[in-house]
Amino acid sequence: MNTALVLGVLASAIASGTSLLYATLGEIVGERAGIVNLGLEGIMLVGAASGFAVTAMIGDPFLGVAAAALAGAAVNLVFAYLVIGRRANQLATGLTLMFFGFGLSALIGRPFVGTLIAGLPKLQFLSLGSMGNPLLAYDILVYLAVPTAILIWWLLFRTTWGLGLRAVGESPVAAVAAGLSPGRLQYQALTIAGLLGGIAGAHLSLSLTLTWEEGMTAGRGFIAIALVIFAKWNPLWAIAGALLFGAAESLQLQLQAAGADVSPFIMNMIPYLLTLLVLIVWGWSRQAAAPAALGRNFVGVE
Amino acid sequence: MKRISAFVVALTAAVALFATDPVSAQQKPPLIVGAIYVGSVNDYGYNRSMKDGLDEMKRNIPGLKLIEAENVPETAESERIMEGMIQQGAKLIFATSFGHQQFAFNLAKTHPDVVFEHAGGWMMSANFGNFFGATQSAWYPMGVAAGKMTKSNTLGFVVGVPIGYAIGNVNAFEMGARSVNPKATTRVVVTGGWSDKAKEAAAAAALIDQGADVVTMHVDSPATIIQTAEGRGVYSIGFQSITAQQLAPKGWITGLGFTWGPFMTGIAKSVIAGTFKPAFVREGLGKMMAIAPFGKAVPKDVRALVTASAEKVENGFNPFTGPVTDNTGTVRIAAGESWGGDKMGSFDWYVEGVIGKAK
Repeated sequence: MNTALVLGVLASAIASGTSLLYATLGEIVGERAGIVNLGLEGIMLVGAASGFAVTAMIGDPFLGVAAAALAGAAVNLVFAYLVIGRRANQLATGLTLMFFGFGLSALIGRPFVGTLIAGLPKLQFLSLGSMGNPLLAYDILVYLAVPTAILIWWLLFRTTWGLGLRAVGESPVAAVAAGLSPGRLQYQALTIAGLLGGIAGAHLSLSLTLTWEEGMTAGRGFIAIALVIFAKWNPLWAIAGALLFGAAESLQLQLQAAGADVSPFIMNMIPYLLTLLVLIVWGWSRQAAAPAALGRNFVGVE
Repeated sequence: MKRISAFVVALTAAVALFATDPVSAQQKPPLIVGAIYVGSVNDYGYNRSMKDGLDEMKRNIPGLKLIEAENVPETAESERIMEGMIQQGAKLIFATSFGHQQFAFNLAKTHPDVVFEHAGGWMMSANFGNFFGATQSAWYPMGVAAGKMTKSNTLGFVVGVPIGYAIGNVNAFEMGARSVNPKATTRVVVTGGWSDKAKEAAAAAALIDQGADVVTMHVDSPATIIQTAEGRGVYSIGFQSITAQQLAPKGWITGLGFTWGPFMTGIAKSVIAGTFKPAFVREGLGKMMAIAPFGKAVPKDVRALVTASAEKVENGFNPFTGPVTDNTGTVRIAAGESWGGDKMGSFDWYVEGVIGKAK
């Protein structure tokens, strides 16, 4: 292990973990309100495509991020209507939403394949003078990721609104008895989840790749869903989880670049082996942390 | 997702089938050519190079009609799309991605009156030809350019999938670099897929973190890697299409691209004349491959060296002439022996100076 490797892994983990963190935070809010959304991958794709499209058309990446957030929320509201309004099965609807997201994002992004954009500007907060270390220059979404996690944590665990939302996720019947409206809280939760999912996608296309390509999230939406379990539905744990998974992806690339004496085929398996390992190790304590009414549709009280 | 876009493509093809085209109704085109691409033609990469070649063919033969479909998956879907093109009168089909081979071959059997040309495969029949660029030796001049431009003596190479041909590209690149700079080493990072942009960005960053100041790649689209290198202030060398220079106004050195136009024009003319003969074509620099324009940063003497080495390769110089030693010290190509043609697909070792494992 050399210093360049450690710094490199850290820098890449922060850069690629950011997108994972936003997506995970969104899914946590939804699941705390009792709704599993397997369509997160589709939401991210729509965010990535619409963020890229708006940036390409207007030339302002910040408007692109805003458009991505709104597009993510809009698509997630379709999902919300189906699972809350029409009480459709959450797992089936989520998967459908994923395919819908694939198709819709392909349609939105199609005219912009190959368009050049400037992307989100890198802000050098910790400029190390003459070193000018690029490892310490990130875009605004990176700097806002951890504060967003803290904000979500505060909203969920320190406000009355969050208490109500978590009550809906644990027992909608009890929530109704307490005078809450489960449906309304779930709509609010899924709007926030959509906003964050859209931003997660935008970070990929507006900061990391600077290009749009069909299906470019490459399974990161599903990794985020696994991260929710890793984080035990806690936004603060999600920070560690996103960093860890970001690091796993970059570690194998950095090890190859450093000339480690391991087959590249084994290297490419590292992030997935880690996912399996985490699910095995975390498996036993999962039940205690999951919202009790997760995945079940609330059909009203007698 | 590919399925959905394929559906849209099929739908468009169906609509086009029924729509009457007043121009073609008046004057029949000399030839209708169908072409399928696995990705978007705006990828600054492989699909762009195919599109450029076909456009050149279209310009060369007045009146020729070209029907194209992008994002055609390497599944049975592609067979239906090509079938649709044949229904529209196509007598020549270019199936441009490796995975389209079997499906094009199936159609060649049922449509003996239609000529098929497939890129990068091995299948052949009376109406089925196969073509590709001989890329490996063409990478040698790229190595010369990189070896002269590097200050850290560390070059970075992002490889999608480490197939024999890709490893051969890396090997020729490193040998070219060593020919002008004995201290040059090439570090290799494998992403595991031909197109995972976020991973490619991280892979390029990893190479730069390890000291690489020239980054190049063998993936479908070079766009993300070149932009990542440009953002980090290091040099880049492109591959696939020679149009990628605009992605790196500062750090672009040069690039290696495919020039399919003359070959495609020749095939189209032979189909019109009825003289088509199937052939297994592999051509390198000067024919199916070309060197992209140099970037501003490249000094005159380096340009001259690169051009000279490209001419050397064009005139038959084969870098894979023994003795060639791998990066563990074993002699792989004995003195007096030389590798070419099919052998280019069988590399499972890196030459001396490459830091990386092939398997």
